Amino acid sequence: MLNIDRRWIFLGIGIVSIVPFFINFGLPVTTTMEVESIFDYVNELGPDNAIFISFDFAPGTQAENMPMAVGVMRHAFHNDVPVFMTANYPLHHGMMLAAMEYVFNPTTVGFYQEVFFDDWRDLREAGVTGKYELIEAWENQGNQLPDGAMGWVFEGRDYAALGYAPVFNLVILGMTVSIETQYPVDAHGNSTGEMPMLREHKSLREIDLALTSSGSGACVWWVTYAREKIGLPIAFGLTAVMATDYFPYLQSGQVIGQMGGLRGAAEYEVLLTENGITPTTDKAFTGMDVQSAAHILIILLIIMGNIAFFAGGFHKKTLLKGGS
Amino acid sequence: MIVMVGGILMILQYFIPHQISQTIFAYYTDWTPIILAFALVLGVGSLTRIHSHKIRRKAKNWQYSYAVLIPLFGMPILAHILPQSLGGGMDSPSIFHFFFMHVQVSIQATMFSLLAFYIASAAFRAFRAKSALATVLLLAAVIVMLGQVPVGELLGKWLPETGLWILRYPNLAAKRAIMLGVGFGMLATNLKIIFGVERNWLGGAGK
Repeated sequence: MLNIDRRWIFLGIGIVSIVPFFINFGLPVTTTMEVESIFDYVNELGPDNAIFISFDFAPGTQAENMPMAVGVMRHAFHNDVPVFMTANYPLHHGMMLAAMEYVFNPTTVGFYQEVFFDDWRDLREAGVTGKYELIEAWENQGNQLPDGAMGWVFEGRDYAALGYAPVFNLVILGMTVSIETQYPVDAHGNSTGEMPMLREHKSLREIDLALTSSGSGACVWWVTYAREKIGLPIAFGLTAVMATDYFPYLQSGQVIGQMGGLRGAAEYEVLLTENGITPTTDKAFTGMDVQSAAHILIILLIIMGNIAFFAGGFHKKTLLKGGS
Repeated sequence: MIVMVGGILMILQYFIPHQISQTIFAYYTDWTPIILAFALVLGVGSLTRIHSHKIRRKAKNWQYSYAVLIPLFGMPILAHILPQSLGGGMDSPSIFHFFFMHVQVSIQATMFSLLAFYIASAAFRAFRAKSALATVLLLAAVIVMLGQVPVGELLGKWLPETGLWILRYPNLAAKRAIMLGVGFGMLATNLKIIFGVERNWLGGAGK
């Protein structure tokens, strides 16, 4: 049994990864304190606050990190909290754009209808920049919210896709003084100086939370350069492999909460659905069935391997050879 | 000398909120990307030279050098030089966006996904309870793994609770100790570099 061809193991993993997508078990996900604290914090915020979502992950970890960032983004849009989006690496800039495409896509359940910066220029120049008066004025111009859309989001009022800027740890330091000096234009070439949300939140000192959805150690930059310098509250969204490393930051209070791996993202989706913020759970919750099946298979393989090892007397042979 | 002066200056600058200090920092943040841009030129130039050399000499696997050079120059051309009317630009819809979303994202996600298969194979072959410590490690891993998935809760509420306890207490303590050690080590090494005691980064110039 110890010499089993590893292609059988690969086949097993392939099957348990694919089948749950077709047979929806819908196993319940209970939430933990680490994720609830992020949810409760964002839930308390409103139109006068603002948050940063930093897309610090590459396509390799998007299965875990993307649902975290998307979940918090949708939560913020629901509560009319302006969202600044950044990326610490050129590749991660693409992840930011992909997240926006997903949230603004009419085929996504519970999507938001985006209004581009140039499209509402006339209202902006007329001085209509408050969220609710803007919606009223926009709809009075004959614009109708599409069926299935959860609401309007105006570029420059509800979100600003700042994107990537080089030497991102210095950018964070620079944003503690002024966001506009680090990002004179956003990722779409719009002048950030004309954005109402930038006029109301000029630096990181006027931001209420920064979520870093990260697949690398870059998440610590936010703690080092923002949390420790100006006291900006930070939340982590990390891969499962990394999540264990950052519990000390949770315990010391340097971060307000942490979403660890696909499980953390699924917990946030459950909280969003239970509180009526999104109509259904999303990809992370669906992925938990796959993860359950894969974990059980791996544990079974470990048990089988150990049974075969001890039953075959290999542990005695190792002892005879002077092994431990 | 430059490293010492610059290092000490930036350490002091971090703790001084005066306007002069902020002005120095602003100059530094303006100049750093410019200097790093030269590193980019150096990197691209070096990569181009190595791979064009491989192609010219028909070295082993020379065909893959085209796979490096064509996207290296092609993607910036698609993003910044090709007019938008011909599919240029970075935003959707553009050729660059297509290649990024449907080629690069897919390839990177696939490479990462392969880990699941290798981990399963490694788990079968290598995770052995050969000693008491190995057994404790294995048990802790099984409890945490089951605690992280919904199935664990169906098997028993104690599983996720125990898994979380392991993460929040013993794991935290060990990680904190490691972080402190690494942090002190980094501090010592950086101070040695700033004060010129450590000169390996000079590439032998300090000998």
